[in-house]
Amino acid sequence: MATYKARLQEYDALLSQDAINIRDLRALCFSGVPDEGGRRALCWKLLLNYLPLETNQWQDTLNKKRAQYRHFVEEMVVEPARLSKNGSGNNHVEDHPLNPNPDSQWGSFFKDNEVLTQIDKDVRRLCPDIMFFQRGTDFPCQLVVDDPEVERLHRRVTHTSLNATAVTRKGLGIKKMETSGRRSTTTEDYHPLPPGSEAHWEVVERILFIYAKLNPGQSYVQGMNEIIGPIYYTFASDPIIAFRENAEADCFWCFISLMGEIRDFFIRTLDDSASGIGAMMERLMTNLRHHDHQLWNRLRVQELRPQFFSFRWLTLMLSQEFDLPDVIRVWDSLFADADRFTYLIQVCTAMMVQQRDTMLQNDFGSNMKILQHYPPVDVQVLLSKATELVEGGELPPADPTTPDPPSS
Amino acid sequence: MAKKTYDLLFKLLLIGDSGVGKTCILFRFSDDAFNTTFISTIGIDFKIKTIELRGKKIKLQIWDTAGQERFHTITTSYYRGAMGIMLVYDITNAKSFDNIAKWLRNIDEHANEDVEKMILGNKCDMEDKRVIPKEKGEAIGREHSIRFLETSAKANINIEQAFLELAEAILNKTPGRDPQEGQDSTVHPSKTHGRPERQCCA
Repeated sequence: MATYKARLQEYDALLSQDAINIRDLRALCFSGVPDEGGRRALCWKLLLNYLPLETNQWQDTLNKKRAQYRHFVEEMVVEPARLSKNGSGNNHVEDHPLNPNPDSQWGSFFKDNEVLTQIDKDVRRLCPDIMFFQRGTDFPCQLVVDDPEVERLHRRVTHTSLNATAVTRKGLGIKKMETSGRRSTTTEDYHPLPPGSEAHWEVVERILFIYAKLNPGQSYVQGMNEIIGPIYYTFASDPIIAFRENAEADCFWCFISLMGEIRDFFIRTLDDSASGIGAMMERLMTNLRHHDHQLWNRLRVQELRPQFFSFRWLTLMLSQEFDLPDVIRVWDSLFADADRFTYLIQVCTAMMVQQRDTMLQNDFGSNMKILQHYPPVDVQVLLSKATELVEGGELPPADPTTPDPPSS
Repeated sequence: MAKKTYDLLFKLLLIGDSGVGKTCILFRFSDDAFNTTFISTIGIDFKIKTIELRGKKIKLQIWDTAGQERFHTITTSYYRGAMGIMLVYDITNAKSFDNIAKWLRNIDEHANEDVEKMILGNKCDMEDKRVIPKEKGEAIGREHSIRFLETSAKANINIEQAFLELAEAILNKTPGRDPQEGQDSTVHPSKTHGRPERQCCA
């Protein structure tokens, strides 16, 4: 207990400096950030380069960034929603829903809805094992929930199909009309909340939508929701109200910053480039071969390819492999890693090495099960193992040859 | 561990747009349960189930794929090894039905020529939200000479049936498991032609 208190003090001393020493901060955070007093949320903002290291600039940065995000919401969420609600654009009088002109606001409105449909599906299945994203936020976005003229994002994609009327004929001239109501509750728990409030998943939906709008080349890719999840959860549970009420904007910027580093994993055309997911998987297998040649060989003989499991591990930074509290703990270390993904490679290697005895006995199917549904584990043990497995072995060439297709 | 507990190994693949219920179908079949809140599949997932067919123990190795375009480079690499492919759409989602043509092209491009195919119209318990009539599903099955079933992972309709039918079709064309046998796949048009493509659901 005493050591824990000392640890908290260590954090407080570090975080109250005029200029934070990032190396000290990384070293401290690497072994896990305490939950208390919003320290984790604050440290993540620093580690993800959202907050500057000069403490006296924090408020200024936060004000600016939050205002900027608010502007994005107005421009990309509120304005188009008014357009759809009122059926007219704000400057093109002749614009209409069937306008084929590529500049038509309606055209882009419908295109956005395609992206939105995908986002909507995914945010409604975010972290289903905890009751958090289904619940209402204490700080709904006022621009959206208080204005009856503004249609919610999920409404844009859930009521686009027409109501169906089934006509059944019974005997002569007797018709029975059965109008089916739309939305007979789908994913039960992730339902929209009444006017004036909104659920956390709706907030995440808005962040992802704005990200997709700002990055039209990449747009939304499945899995981004799993990257936002832990960050948003951490920020939206911050005990400091001034931070918690701005969780949405702060999370948006941290997500942008993190995506700046891992974006290439989500881009198909970069799969085989040096910064793409293919090279990452190659690095992982090289590291495994270096530390555990026997296990590496076993997987090779079984034709258990890295794509079968490590594609997801690496792309999502392990966010689907553990329970949320464990994911958050792992991310403390990953964010604290100055050479960002080196440690991720080490953790993934450790996950395999920890299971080596079983895996050397198992057949292909059982090994797949272990790697795809990783057995319960003490992450602290896993992380200490990972620190031992410093990346070694010959690094893959800049342009790795594509792996053989699996044989039947 | 290494002892063979089965007679045959069939590799199956589930494909289709995201959110049509591929993972739920697989979960219903493998664990006989339903869960509305599945996280989205990233890349691929994998399950094994052993069934018995005509006195043979058949191990089904079933690959569940992510639906979104981004994952196609990863997922199409599994097509080649698959002996059976289930193409799933959602009867409450017109787009997922329209995309069947695209998925079939994918199969043509990446899968073995003699791969057994099946089209599933999932979520058939949601009658009030249906936008694709069953007849349209049957028609597309007929058009391409592919088996068709409407299923519901939630209400457990036709799920087991679908897997058994697909497995049976594969079994039919693997008489002696002679490695040479694969070369006979050129006769496959005549083989599948006469087969009624819709021994379909009640």
